[in-house]
Amino acid sequence: MSHTVLIAGAWISAGLTIFLFSFLYKDNPFFKIAEHLYLGAGMGWWCQIYFGVLQEKVWTPLTHHEWLVLLPALLGLSLITQFIPKISWLSRYGFTFLMGYGSGLAIPAGLATDFINQIGGTIQPFANLAGMTAFTLFNSVLMAVGVICVLIYFFFSLEHKGAIKKVSNVGIYFLMIYFGAAFGNTVMARFSLLYGRFDSLYTFSGKQYLYATQVILIAMVTYFILHGFLTRNKADQDEEAA
Amino acid sequence: MLKDKLNAVLKIDRRWIFLALTVVLFGAIIHPLGLLSKNIARDTQNAYEFMDKIPAGSFILLDLDYDPSTAPELSPQAMAVARHAFRNNLRVGVVTYSAGATGLIEQLFAVVPGEFKKEYGKDYVILPYQPNAVAVMTQMASDLYGIYDKDKDGKDTRSMPVMKGIQNYKNISLVVCIAGTSITDIWVAYVGDKYNVPFIAGVTAISQPGYGPYLQKKQMRGLLGGMKGAAEYEHLIKTPGKGSSGIDALSLAHVMVAALIIVSNIAMVILKYL
Repeated sequence: MSHTVLIAGAWISAGLTIFLFSFLYKDNPFFKIAEHLYLGAGMGWWCQIYFGVLQEKVWTPLTHHEWLVLLPALLGLSLITQFIPKISWLSRYGFTFLMGYGSGLAIPAGLATDFINQIGGTIQPFANLAGMTAFTLFNSVLMAVGVICVLIYFFFSLEHKGAIKKVSNVGIYFLMIYFGAAFGNTVMARFSLLYGRFDSLYTFSGKQYLYATQVILIAMVTYFILHGFLTRNKADQDEEAA
Repeated sequence: MLKDKLNAVLKIDRRWIFLALTVVLFGAIIHPLGLLSKNIARDTQNAYEFMDKIPAGSFILLDLDYDPSTAPELSPQAMAVARHAFRNNLRVGVVTYSAGATGLIEQLFAVVPGEFKKEYGKDYVILPYQPNAVAVMTQMASDLYGIYDKDKDGKDTRSMPVMKGIQNYKNISLVVCIAGTSITDIWVAYVGDKYNVPFIAGVTAISQPGYGPYLQKKQMRGLLGGMKGAAEYEHLIKTPGKGSSGIDALSLAHVMVAALIIVSNIAMVILKYL
């Protein structure tokens, strides 16, 4: 990659990042440009990838006279007929295939992985009760109690009063602990993303990138100052005219 | 008087908080404090140890399913895992089911293999993006070449030395999935559990708590969570990278948030009883 292309990339990257962050101050045309560019570029990227797949999976086999690929290709195309009301009934064939094939794959796998295995995981530790330390025993009991209490909280066929209410209230505490942990992790994840962008901005602030970050940042601040000044003057004039 | 001041604190313009956060994060980037991730999580340690015990020359499948929106967290993880694999002379096959990941994969593999003098086609191969991950994973159980007969550049994979002896999951020592999507669940359900393939995941910090049950049931051999997971893995392979340098910024930002929560709660309590 040539040096010029690298510098251009750095300016585009730094510029778009600053434009998007500028929304935190207030809405502005630069944010809108970056937003629309993001949507357009994202869609463009996805389209070229998907067309590449169509070429590889449908067009190339057809050129080698592998006619069987027409069957899944037609089923796939039938989904698009949803947009043409007169022949939209054709889409049912594609959806039927997707439903049958999807359910057949998903139901046994989902049941085994997320249901039976997890019930096993809750009960299994008690199979080795004699070999348990006090801590592992406490851990296993806590987990089993948590699972039961949360399940009861989500069991709506019984009125939540008396003992059931007490148990479901304990379930709420378990849920709250989970939500707290999830929120903490969410904060960490968001900071990581912010750090990623700031790290790039810091990189692009170097001499080798012709101080892209500083120049764009100063330009943005100047814009906001000028815009604020001009709009205030205009507002004053409108007020006087009124 | 005090009441007015406390009310003003609670009604502070949020843009001041954004500015303070910017200063804290940039400060940590410009002047690193070296606050390393000293507590290695059990799940990261397990992932490292499992990978470390795989004999040299074995083939691992590295699924990289992250796009630019999660790259700051997941790219350091992917880099650390790839470095570990190459350092241990493992053969690596890279796959993706996320259209946004293809460019990032090329970026990563333009750097890491060169550090270990690894050759494309001999030590690693990048397989093309495929839609419909479930169908692809199911097909790979019987014949990997039914899907991946060509690499990302359209070259024949069967003739590549890196693919020698690889036919299906039976020949794959480990699957590592670093993803910002729910594809991790699909690997566990359709491959890990079904074909008894050892599986390790790297996920965003947001989704990390949800994978506890899989870890407890050993459906996953290890888990890297967010940038912290990346920093821990970098620490274990003794190669600091973007994960380790990010820990400074994360730690300071967390201190700031905790301080804000404490200050605002104290203000609320004082206002309530004043």
